[in-house]
Amino acid sequence: MTTAPGAGLGLKPQHYAEAISESAAGAWFEVHPENYMCDGGPRHVALAAVRERHPLSLHGVGLSLAGDEPPDEAQLARLRHLVDRYEPFLVSEHLAWSRRRGAYHPDLLPFPRTSAALVRVAEHIDRTQEALGRRILVENPSLYVALDGHDLSETEFLIDLCRSTGCGLLLDVNNVYVSANNLGYMAETYLDAIPASLIGEIHLAGHAPDATLGPDLLIDTHGAPVGAAVWDLYRRLITRIGTRPTLIERDDNVPAYLDLAAERHAASTILTSVQEAVFVHA
Amino acid sequence: MSTREERSFFDAFDAAIGGNVAALSPWLKQPAPGFSVYRNTIASGAVGALAATFTTVQLMTGEEWFRAVAREFSRAHPPVDPALLCYGEALPDWLANFPPAADTPYLASIAHLDWLWWQSWSAADATALDGVALARLTAESLGSVKLDLHPAVRTASFETGIPSLWLAHQAPLSGEPHLLSDVPERILFTRRGLHVQSHLVDAATFAFLDALRRGSSILVAAEGALVADPTCSLPDILAGGIALGLFSSITPPPDPSR
Repeated sequence: MTTAPGAGLGLKPQHYAEAISESAAGAWFEVHPENYMCDGGPRHVALAAVRERHPLSLHGVGLSLAGDEPPDEAQLARLRHLVDRYEPFLVSEHLAWSRRRGAYHPDLLPFPRTSAALVRVAEHIDRTQEALGRRILVENPSLYVALDGHDLSETEFLIDLCRSTGCGLLLDVNNVYVSANNLGYMAETYLDAIPASLIGEIHLAGHAPDATLGPDLLIDTHGAPVGAAVWDLYRRLITRIGTRPTLIERDDNVPAYLDLAAERHAASTILTSVQEAVFVHA
Repeated sequence: MSTREERSFFDAFDAAIGGNVAALSPWLKQPAPGFSVYRNTIASGAVGALAATFTTVQLMTGEEWFRAVAREFSRAHPPVDPALLCYGEALPDWLANFPPAADTPYLASIAHLDWLWWQSWSAADATALDGVALARLTAESLGSVKLDLHPAVRTASFETGIPSLWLAHQAPLSGEPHLLSDVPERILFTRRGLHVQSHLVDAATFAFLDALRRGSSILVAAEGALVADPTCSLPDILAGGIALGLFSSITPPPDPSR
């Protein structure tokens, strides 16, 4: 594809064939590199075929950047290997931790955003960017508990990280919506606080109310279509900042490829309308 | 908050993941029912990874039993690697000593075969050796030359018919009940193109491949095959291995001028 990456899709193994033959303008795909940290076999054959035709983004879940231990060097080496092999146009990770004292917790866990944590996480991002030989984007997490002991708001923390390490932000609008709901702040205020120049990618996904607690606690399930409120926040955001590569994430209740392609198309339409509005005003 | 206090935050969070949710209360503004989201996500991530790998075990035990057991295993052996496709190597041995599985002692072996299948599926790619390369070998070189197995080759040997039981539970399923036989069987996994193939193999072929895996020369491997079955034919074993793509290279490489 010669067009710049516009709206993309999280790549699911059940959709490899459709992804390879996708021909929509601006289409791209994103994977968790951890799912490709094997020596060979059908999974790499499929990813190589997708990459041959589309831009690819690597979106890591395992570096534990916010942990109290530095990123694992073996994990960094495996990630570097995938970066070299697949030449992704974006590489991203999360503002969260998942690994400690030899155990890996398959989740994106919260931490107190202290001044000490700011220094520590910046060191971990520095080391990651050095090991990968490139800039990364860092994603805002979904939050489910209000921790005590924060020195900085999440937006302050993320902006400071960008300034000190040169990293960019992957702004997950659904995570902003979920966290704002769960912790009681305004999603609009959060989004407006992020400088446009720092945002390199946007994520959109579906969420669901907790089975027991209901809508007071929203879960970032990636198990439903993007909700109307999240689409509204997205429109508001890119009207302010302009177009950005935008990903539709879906990891649970994965529907037919055509359903995901329709959501991708909806994001693409919004991106195009914002782009045209910019031309009109220019 | 000092660095030491931060470390105690992580200690408290680890304890809360382990079940002692009260440990986290000094770091919470108010009671946090949302903490269960983290515990559930961690558990379902590990269980989901095991379910993807141990498909035959899950088919034989049912999803409910499997997920409960997988959750218990993940507490005893939490993942250590963010690449969850590498998770579960310890499950077969753990199942063998898991009291609720005592009535189904074959499950541990079935889990072992699921693991080997997964290993074969994700192993490195390599070109299979063809018969031409093998034909260049001279009889006198067999004592010093080794045949390297293709990275996707996995083998296992059993005192009973575990391999047939495992095979009977692969798609397409016949729906016929399958009883575990008491005849010893051996199974071989390899990958051709995108697909893992599974084959029952005779004792001589198994002994030959097993010796190659340990780094023995072709001659020593052939002697092992003859011990397993004095009537076996080495040319047949080699031809079968070539046909299935079981070999990737010859060490040292034969002299192309011969």
